[in-house]
Amino acid sequence: MKRSGSIQLAAAVAVALASPGCKTSEAPPGGGGAGKVTINGSGATFQKAAQEIAIEAFAKVRKDITVNYAGGGSGKGRKELADQVVDYACTDAPYKAEEAASVKGGAFFYIPNVLGAIAVSYHLGGVDKLQLSADTLAKIFQREIKQWDDPAILADNPGAKLPSAAIVVARRADGSGTTENFTRYLHEAGGGAWKLGSGSTVAWPGDTQAGNGNNGVAGIVKKTSGAIGYLDLSDAIENKLRYAAVKNQAGTYVTPDAASVTAAAEGITPDDKLLFSALNGKGVAAYPLTAQSWCMVYEKQTDKAKGEALSAWFKFLLTDGQKLLPEIDFAPVPKALADKALAQIEKIQVP
Amino acid sequence: MSAPDLRAKPGWRSVKDRLMTGLMLAAVVAVLVPLAAVLASLAARGGGIALASFPDFFTQEIPRFSRRAGPGMGPAVIGTLLVTATATALAVPLGVLGAIYLHEYGGSGRFARLVRFMATVMTGVPSIVMGLFVYLLWTIRFGFSAFGGALALACLMLPVVIGASEQMLRLVPGHLREASYALGATKSRTILTVVLPAALPGIVSGCLLAVARAAGETAPLLFAVGAAKAFNWSVLHEANTALPSQIFGNALDVPAAQGRAWGAALTLVLLTFLLTLAARLVTGRFALKR
Amino acid sequence: MQLSELRGRSQNADRAFRWLAAGAAGIVLVVLALIAITMTDRARPVLGRMGLGFFTQTTWSVPTNTYGALGFLYGTLYTAVIAIAIAVPISFGVALFVTQVAPRWVRRPLVYVIDLLAVVPSVVFGLWGLLVMAPALGLQPSYLAAGIILAIMITPIITSLSREVIETTPVTDKEAAFALGATRWEMITATVWPHSKGGLVGAVMLGLGRAMGETIAATLVIGNTVHVTANPLAPGYSMPTVIANEFGEAEPLHKSALIALAVTLFLITIAVNLAATWIVQRSMRRSRGT
Repeated sequence: MKRSGSIQLAAAVAVALASPGCKTSEAPPGGGGAGKVTINGSGATFQKAAQEIAIEAFAKVRKDITVNYAGGGSGKGRKELADQVVDYACTDAPYKAEEAASVKGGAFFYIPNVLGAIAVSYHLGGVDKLQLSADTLAKIFQREIKQWDDPAILADNPGAKLPSAAIVVARRADGSGTTENFTRYLHEAGGGAWKLGSGSTVAWPGDTQAGNGNNGVAGIVKKTSGAIGYLDLSDAIENKLRYAAVKNQAGTYVTPDAASVTAAAEGITPDDKLLFSALNGKGVAAYPLTAQSWCMVYEKQTDKAKGEALSAWFKFLLTDGQKLLPEIDFAPVPKALADKALAQIEKIQVP
Repeated sequence: MSAPDLRAKPGWRSVKDRLMTGLMLAAVVAVLVPLAAVLASLAARGGGIALASFPDFFTQEIPRFSRRAGPGMGPAVIGTLLVTATATALAVPLGVLGAIYLHEYGGSGRFARLVRFMATVMTGVPSIVMGLFVYLLWTIRFGFSAFGGALALACLMLPVVIGASEQMLRLVPGHLREASYALGATKSRTILTVVLPAALPGIVSGCLLAVARAAGETAPLLFAVGAAKAFNWSVLHEANTALPSQIFGNALDVPAAQGRAWGAALTLVLLTFLLTLAARLVTGRFALKR
Repeated sequence: MQLSELRGRSQNADRAFRWLAAGAAGIVLVVLALIAITMTDRARPVLGRMGLGFFTQTTWSVPTNTYGALGFLYGTLYTAVIAIAIAVPISFGVALFVTQVAPRWVRRPLVYVIDLLAVVPSVVFGLWGLLVMAPALGLQPSYLAAGIILAIMITPIITSLSREVIETTPVTDKEAAFALGATRWEMITATVWPHSKGGLVGAVMLGLGRAMGETIAATLVIGNTVHVTANPLAPGYSMPTVIANEFGEAEPLHKSALIALAVTLFLITIAVNLAATWIVQRSMRRSRGT
């Protein structure tokens, strides 16, 4: 360790520190190397698996574009897009009015790219099948029903043998679109039983367990005997969790799967921003806890390379990317909606 | 405790003595069991993925699709090396220079005593506080990068390097300095050419231990480095990743990702053990003794 | 060249070196001052809104902008207490074993191996605790699980410091006890214990400080639920773990609350560490005097 050498190193460091270097006041720099572009996304963990499997496939098709998806929850995605810290974000629920005011980059598009079921997973030894109605679900998740052999649960499951065990409720710690959709469903379908409102976080009772991301909830349900939680079907199946059939508007108990999700999607009516809700579908075979997720991107892009990369990425998501979804227990968006989304993507302005 | 009653029955006293010795032995076992268990888990669960298809684990990128089982963790290894090396480059020269000031110039003056006290305070700063600090001062302005993490780690290493170096400087015999002055050398010349080389092995050893500790820190990385999945050789540009943050993130992920976490944990432990071993070798062979 | 010119030039270089070294030492003060300033500045908004309620309320609700940190304060303290309760008897047992009981040839290897426990990064302990230890013991994420992991992590610190303190017991006192016919345990209670009491308290407090500031290992196994209860099997939350979990997407007031938590944690651990260091140093100074 010669003194002069380290002084030179210190000087070099000081110069590097002083130079403007990489600021992220606008979108992060293209990075990588000659001809390579990196685009960064964050947000909903509901569709994290869908993003990642598409990223893997996309990397084989476009070796010059690197896509990073950080997850973190719909709330984080919306915030980071508003602050222009990421190039795109995914969310299961649109911006609220007061959030929308803080968006810095101007107009943006919602691009629906995935439909999926919110599974109500549980961990109860010896109980292979479970049926739950919205009313019962509301009471369980706000801790009015605390035991598995409660009369309300038995009423939903005539003839079933349920143990006299305590229910442990697993929910999200972070700002979650999945929470928002789940609580919205309980509010709409619970017949007045649900009292905690709807939002990306709600005032959960103190004796509930919180996990980060859909995977966090999966972890709690997996480890805790007597646990019940809400998470995307894809993660529930990946973690080998059991999930319940939920009663839909038509009065049938429906198990979440590709067919029931597609049935729920048949009734959706997107507005001109392509926003809609697949929850609480009216069809006989519809799974009532079907949810959707969008990617969000600014209409006016400031970086040519990134803008083109983003267009290519979203086009992929809505064409080849849709074919990958059934493998991981998601459902593609209906073709008409996909076409409208592709039309939106064409409107992205690249300098 | 009052003095033991040496008149009591010899039988009971020696039984008690043996009982207590047994308890102490049990304590030793209680310490060794977790260590052995952790090492066994690392070897069993991490060894497979890290060594089965060597060197894939270290050369492949982190799979984009986290449910894909299999290697690798290459970017995290590179990231750890980049972040730790940069942190060392920042902390060691500053720390050694600071220790030189404290011991050779400062003595027991007010400034020196204040710095020593504050250095002790600084060793107690929880790493998450340091991470938050770097986030507020650096990440918000410049984004995620290996350098941000290096800054946080350097702040954690600095007081340790200062303390260890000052200890070593204290061990250098005074007559070496006096002989140098007698030959007409200036103070700075003496320090650089006589005192520092004499204390160097001990300082190197102390620094290696500080590096080992820094390599294992996680909290600062979460706030400053990010979680990239591709190789990033740049210190200043774009988010990077490192072994500890990957272990943390993957521990809570799907089983396929957890497998990679074990491999990364094995790699990290081997790295820190190597550094510690090097430090002990240097101390054993070369350093001045108390 | 004239000798006086030579001397003048080297004196300038000498002075420059001294200033450089002083500057390096001063960086410690600069960094600490920056930490103090930036973090207390960011913490003010939430304290302005909650007042002292920040420390006395348990409700931590982001939607209603209510931030009561009592639950986390409780959790930090509770897990640290559990960790100390487990680690102290074991550390003392090991320290006594190594210094009083073990034959000479066992001592160095044993110390070597136990110090390896200190090298293992905390995130690896967290991973192992989450995926191996807790399931093996049938433990859910809870205060107890976090306490056990913390205990494993602070044992090497307490052991090593206790060893140093115990070793300062004057040999003559110990021999006198043996000469009077005491068993080894009686010698320990009669001479080692009274002599080392103070220093051992300091060692325990240093372990306490470390346990309170540890983030990553605890985050993985604590359960992430605010729960002010004496039941160690209940899931819990602590200051460093909530900061690590919630900082990513926090709104300004939420961020301010988390930073206020960090400042609180900082002040508490600093206070504990300083008190501990002072106690240990005082005990060592006293023992060298006898």
